[in-house]
Amino acid sequence: MKGEDSTDIALFVKVSAGNVVRWDRRRIAESLMREAGVGAEQAEQIAGRVESIIRESGIEFITGPLIREIVNAELIKLRLEEERKRYTRLGMPVYDVEQLITKQNKENANVPHGPEATNLSLAESIKKQYALLRVFSPEVALAHERGDIHLHDLGFIDRPYCSGNSIEYVKKFGLSLPNALSISKPARHAEVLVLHLIKFSAALQGVFAGAIGWDAVNLFMAPYLTGRSEREIEQVAQMLVFEFAQQAVARGGQSIFSDLNLYWEVPKHFADVEAIGPEGRYTGNTYEDYLEEAQRFARALIRVYMQGDGMGRPFFFPKPQLHITERLFSTEGYREFLYEIARLSSEKGNSYYVFDRGETAKISECCRLAFKLDENDLQDAKTPWKMRYSAMQNVTINLPRIAYEANGSDERLLELLSERMRLAAEAHVAKRRFIVKLLNLGKNGPLGLLCMDKDGEPYYRLHRATFLMGMLGLNELVQYHLGEEMHESSYALRFGLKVIAHMSRECERLGEDYGMRFVLEQTPAESTAYRMAKLDLEHYREHATQVVKGSIERGEVYYTNSTYLNVSAPISPIERVKKEGMFHPMIHAGSLTHIWLGEAKPEPEAIAKFVVRTFRHTTNDQIAFSPEFSSCLDCGRVDRGLW
Amino acid sequence: MTLQRSEVSGVTIKGMVETSFVDWDGNIVATLFLPGCNFRCGFCFNAKLVLEHDTLDDVPISYVHSYLRSNSDFLDGVCITGGEPTLHSLEELCSLVKSTGLKVKLDTNGSSPRVLEELIDSRLVDFVAMDVKAPLREREYSKAAGVPVDLKAISESIELIAGEVEHEFRTTVVRGVHDRQSIREIAGTLERAGARRYVLQKFIPELAMSEELRRVKSMSDAEMDELVEVAAGYLPAKWRGR
Ligand code: SF4
Repeated sequence: MKGEDSTDIALFVKVSAGNVVRWDRRRIAESLMREAGVGAEQAEQIAGRVESIIRESGIEFITGPLIREIVNAELIKLRLEEERKRYTRLGMPVYDVEQLITKQNKENANVPHGPEATNLSLAESIKKQYALLRVFSPEVALAHERGDIHLHDLGFIDRPYCSGNSIEYVKKFGLSLPNALSISKPARHAEVLVLHLIKFSAALQGVFAGAIGWDAVNLFMAPYLTGRSEREIEQVAQMLVFEFAQQAVARGGQSIFSDLNLYWEVPKHFADVEAIGPEGRYTGNTYEDYLEEAQRFARALIRVYMQGDGMGRPFFFPKPQLHITERLFSTEGYREFLYEIARLSSEKGNSYYVFDRGETAKISECCRLAFKLDENDLQDAKTPWKMRYSAMQNVTINLPRIAYEANGSDERLLELLSERMRLAAEAHVAKRRFIVKLLNLGKNGPLGLLCMDKDGEPYYRLHRATFLMGMLGLNELVQYHLGEEMHESSYALRFGLKVIAHMSRECERLGEDYGMRFVLEQTPAESTAYRMAKLDLEHYREHATQVVKGSIERGEVYYTNSTYLNVSAPISPIERVKKEGMFHPMIHAGSLTHIWLGEAKPEPEAIAKFVVRTFRHTTNDQIAFSPEFSSCLDCGRVDRGLW
Repeated sequence: MTLQRSEVSGVTIKGMVETSFVDWDGNIVATLFLPGCNFRCGFCFNAKLVLEHDTLDDVPISYVHSYLRSNSDFLDGVCITGGEPTLHSLEELCSLVKSTGLKVKLDTNGSSPRVLEELIDSRLVDFVAMDVKAPLREREYSKAAGVPVDLKAISESIELIAGEVEHEFRTTVVRGVHDRQSIREIAGTLERAGARRYVLQKFIPELAMSEELRRVKSMSDAEMDELVEVAAGYLPAKWRGR
């Protein structure tokens, strides 16, 4: 149906494939029908109008994207909004691309600047636009864009968020990833197992947006370490830590957000489990029998962390997370081990302490995320390679904004909170639908790795996936609503607890409604704290100026993270660990309290005592010590030499 | 904090660190700062507490008491420091701390052996940390302390503490004031008195009371190691500081 007039124009089009082709009006009509579902007749009309606009301009060359914009303008005139969305183009302005390629990303200074890193950023930008346009409903997308909620990792829309993994899988099945050029059988030696582990982590990093956690690392490595000398064990530990840390050389300088979960004791749920050893075979012993090797390896790892990297600097990844269960205290040598790891806290600050009280067991995935294993999961412990868990997505609720809108009414506040959480649940449903679609493409699809099926079910165990509800700025919600921050009165603290209790109940209610597992999580991303504070200064200026933290003049504003107490308020570590810990039992996907030590390096005994007392006398889930805190001038308190 | 009369007689408290990991080795303590001092050490890093304590607000005893009571599950003890705490009558304060089940550590310059003796005899303190400013010679000691010092009192305190109570002796080491020889002499004195623990502290120039000393560079880690080695020839020794 080549129109006579279409050949009249001597016009060339630069198309996205990189070629120059002759103008052909039919291409517009065809693409409108194919991509946007516009009817044939209307498509013809639009193409005709676009052609006349271009002809009138008298230009000789035009690009595909520009034609598309002109077509979009026509679609808007015809009020074909849905069609326009489908037809639109995703991308970035030239200026932005140039900035991105030539300048360091200020918002994420941790990512080294380089071609590989900017590739990532460009891809993320387009996927994010795609997600907001096509994966989520307009209502959810708008709520994100306005800052009512925050959808995390939109640039990674085609991956689940984070994962907890089991070394047993690698031990049992070796390294045979789909589409891999070569396949490795189960490792025979510890050194090879370490290499498998790192490679597998790197592969997982490619299909998850966030952290890659490994459970009970020292225990599961133990059957490979029998009869090895102290020096050899230390070398294996060195390999493990250095290789993980140095993965940052790949993929645009991004570290693998990895955690090594360690136990001094053999946790109860693994004690009677049959151990897997070299070549993926059962050794005939249970894990209880490998206590000694597991402990030797744990100590070797701590020594490696203590030495730091080649320059003596601390390793940020992989993070060592010591789990503490009741059994620790009846396991010989625990005091000495606690001192060793406490010394690491004092010197380098990178140990995390995870408290598994009573019958709970947890697997930690990133600095804040720890999944409490429920009864089903503990059943999995008998076949530990099945212990693969994931949170598919994380959506954070902007809490202060709810207080602004509630205008002092408790009832309205909780009502709004429920509404926002329902919106977050909708966002989770949409993400789930999208990921399922990708998983359904099977082993040759984009998430082929997660479909690999070695033990009777796909690597990604969809039915075990959880969906995270994060919160930001509880402190500012309370401050605006009551006129007091949470550390300022027990009334304010109790109100904060009430809000989180409401969120926790809502999670359960929504879970029943949608048939999905929603759990509360302390939002880890600092950038969300800035983004939401900034958006509130824009949309709720009068309200937000009363409570945002940081400096409005300098444009450096933020809300207090999750359920934390004001980070710069003079709250003693003991009170902080107790009060913040009151929230933790309701936040099932894990929470953390940071303890700032000031500049002095305490004796490890004091730190070890603090850890044990936190386990015994609080409900706090996880703590870490930061030795480098130095803003004492602001709050007027230093360790000694008060003035 | 508003100015408020304390409810324990004999003491005003001018500052509190609610949780400290570094004021009593290996213990978690709350540290109380008491005002005033009879010395004027140039290297003192609490000058305001010594010279201008009137400008500082009191910490209400009621606050201290309720804090200690509700956190005795985490705390090992309380460190009473200053200034020079023995210029105050400490019985009631120490008893208050003891009533919460916590231990008491007292920091002192050793100028009031009688006060120390009473506190030790009545078991109101569990640990005493005494500063030994210089070798025990009139001129040297007085120079370091910035006022004429009665050396007899200092010796008596050393004897008393070394013999009667858990303790540490310590010297803030300042370049130009202390050297291997002076550390050797102090360590020797301590050893003869039966002391069991000696700690050398790194001097922090930025906080020094004397302007002159603020320009002095603090010792390096290696220099501190060396001095500890000298002291360790006499009694168990270590250094602390950043
Ligand atoms: S260092 Fe101690 S004894 Fe010397 S002036 Fe300061 S508080 Fe007083």
